[in-house]
Amino acid sequence: MAISSPTDPPGEGGDADEAGTDPPDDADPATPDEDSIAAASGREWWRRYLREHTAHALVVAAFALYPFLYALLAASPLGTEVETLLPRVETMVAVFYFGLFAMSFDFVSGYTGYLSFGHAIFYGTGAYFVVLAANGQIPLLAPGTPFMLLLLLAGLLAVVIALAIGALSFRLSGVYFAMITLGFAQVAYVFVRGWDYVSENPRDGAAVSTEVHPGGFDVGVPGVDALNLAIGRLTGDSVELLFVELGGTEVSYYMVGLVVLVCYLAMQRLIHSPFGTVLLAIRENEERAEAVGYDPFRFKLAAFAISGFFAAIAGGLFAGFRRSVAPDNSMYFLVTGDALLASIIGGFGTLAGPLYGRLFDETVREFLSKRGSGGGLLPYLREHLPASVIEADLVGGLTVGGAIETFLNGHASLYIGVIFVLFVLYVPNGLLGTVRDRLGGTVAKQLPEYLDRYRRD
Amino acid sequence: MTGAVLTPLIVDALGEFFRLGTLSEVFVNGLSKAALYAMIASGLTLVFGLLGVLNFAHGSFTMLGAYLGGLVMVVLVGSATGDLARVLFFLVGTLFVFAAIGALGGAVEVGLIRQLYDRPPIYQILLTFGLALVLDEAARIVVSFYGIQPITDWRAALGTKPAFMVENLSVAGLSVSPLALFQIVFGTVTIGAVWLFLTRTRYGMVVRAGSEDDEMTAALGIDVNRVFTTVFALGSAIAGVAGMLLMWDPVWGASLPLAHETLLPAFVVVIVGGLGTFRGTVVAAGLVGMVDATMTWWFQNAITFTGLPEMMIFLVLVLTLIVRPQGLFGVEEVGGH
Repeated sequence: MAISSPTDPPGEGGDADEAGTDPPDDADPATPDEDSIAAASGREWWRRYLREHTAHALVVAAFALYPFLYALLAASPLGTEVETLLPRVETMVAVFYFGLFAMSFDFVSGYTGYLSFGHAIFYGTGAYFVVLAANGQIPLLAPGTPFMLLLLLAGLLAVVIALAIGALSFRLSGVYFAMITLGFAQVAYVFVRGWDYVSENPRDGAAVSTEVHPGGFDVGVPGVDALNLAIGRLTGDSVELLFVELGGTEVSYYMVGLVVLVCYLAMQRLIHSPFGTVLLAIRENEERAEAVGYDPFRFKLAAFAISGFFAAIAGGLFAGFRRSVAPDNSMYFLVTGDALLASIIGGFGTLAGPLYGRLFDETVREFLSKRGSGGGLLPYLREHLPASVIEADLVGGLTVGGAIETFLNGHASLYIGVIFVLFVLYVPNGLLGTVRDRLGGTVAKQLPEYLDRYRRD
Repeated sequence: MTGAVLTPLIVDALGEFFRLGTLSEVFVNGLSKAALYAMIASGLTLVFGLLGVLNFAHGSFTMLGAYLGGLVMVVLVGSATGDLARVLFFLVGTLFVFAAIGALGGAVEVGLIRQLYDRPPIYQILLTFGLALVLDEAARIVVSFYGIQPITDWRAALGTKPAFMVENLSVAGLSVSPLALFQIVFGTVTIGAVWLFLTRTRYGMVVRAGSEDDEMTAALGIDVNRVFTTVFALGSAIAGVAGMLLMWDPVWGASLPLAHETLLPAFVVVIVGGLGTFRGTVVAAGLVGMVDATMTWWFQNAITFTGLPEMMIFLVLVLTLIVRPQGLFGVEEVGGH
């Protein structure tokens, strides 16, 4: 059957550098787009490839420029406002790795319609695998094993787990499927929370020991020193290129972004292959897909395994960047909930949507977080409101300052929740899904034609 | 790992476990847990059976009930209040919580969930999930505003417990917690009342008819939407009352994490019993309660693994779904098989 390996090169030509990240995609990949084929015939394959990936290239360019833009704007007279409104580069790293997790969640849940409510088990597997391997706690793996290899191994481990869980779970559907996957993930969560092999205090998780593994985690070509850059808030490499100097966070941003990009392209390729079309057929009408001659069980299982693979890579990136992992931020069911949030806001059943959803989510969170660094609404108001306003009484002894503290101090979840409910009610297709519906097809497909209208031949 | 060392310990513990005293203690604890789980899960299963909505905000109703109940008790009870008065106040508070959380549930159904009945069921899960986030965070804002630590138990509310419930009783050589007995009685009465409501009243008959086939029920001239609202309100109200009961229990206590701590076992109970079947839920609550109590004993006495009871509860869920996917009393078609 047609299971492609999850690590398939992104494009037929394997020309990954040319392509871009995240944008949209999805739906009707089967119907051959006659216009574009006609337009493309007679051109070289790479021009066709570029044309198909215009949207991707634009998004990658935007993301690539973001740190410079942020630095530039932060230095401008409106610096404080910019820092208040825009997410920091460090936050963007989190958007990347968690966005990848949300995409992998969407890969199975949004495309097959089976809500994988225990998806955090794969994210946690990846994260714990990297931390334990770096500490030399996994047999046969030296602490110095290249990070890229660790990611791959973590992914394969997740595939094994996914096949085991999936084989039992895909006999069910609907709410029951969501619940049995949740059950498996909670068993794993409770297990790592109490497993004292992980660290002395497993409830708080484990950290990468600075003695065993002092350096950062290298992203790049394993074994070739010149082609590696370390990620991490403190341990990341800094690079000087021509005029620009990139700090550890910026390097992490680009390197994590690169891995996420490659993973996205691989998933995008799979979704647009015949395999992905069968997944959509299963979502729309499983009986009919079966009647046509596909075995839904095997396709669902394959999708689950692929999705687990990428979720574990996301978890590995998360642990590699943060150098620590805790049960509550990797295995708990609320982690899956966050991926669900990102998927719905970004667009359920659009592959790139969850990344934008997470971007939205993190931006709101940072805007409303209590930490002063990186800015946010709270420190901004505290500094810029005149003292007379802050001291003013609102109701019953509650001053404006007190109200700001009470309602804004790290309570982003409240507002995210409200936004989420509004999305479910009024924008059920999410950001990207709505855009796609407007354009009448996936953004990646529609954008080149849209641009053509403005081009003089 | 340390299996060889553990074996004699396990054998000792087995001997200890199968003493009559231990067994009956575990049994009483299991019953009290079962009563609590049955209360929380029955609302969940009623709502699912009739509306087809798996309510992720259910645990939040329990948590709100615990805080509201605690508030009532803290306001009414002074240090001089006698034990009997405290129990009376508790019953008054229960009525208040029942009404308040029920009203909240009704408002949620009318304002939010009603708009989603014609969408795929996943959207109702999503909506209630978002609602849980909002309710939890709103509660956190209010609670921290009044200087109460949101993560740990609310001490002041725990302190309103009557004195006779604090110490364990010893009856015929057995040590029994009066609080557990209170929970068993309270839970049994509540579940019995719901049971009677469903089977002995006209409105209960309508509810059961609606669970069976809501379109047909509507065709017979019954305002199904109103029944939906009532059942959602009732389910939420029972969850709130269960929360009030938990407020006195030092193992649970009124705290924000209570929302998740109760939601997850309630899911397990509902799924194990079979979605939408009230009887299945009650039986499954008994099963899960017993497993929980047994494993808690084993954790306290022999096995040092902290998450043992929780893990076993989820294993029960997983095993049930593997062996009998529709749950103990479930019907095949419910919940999408």
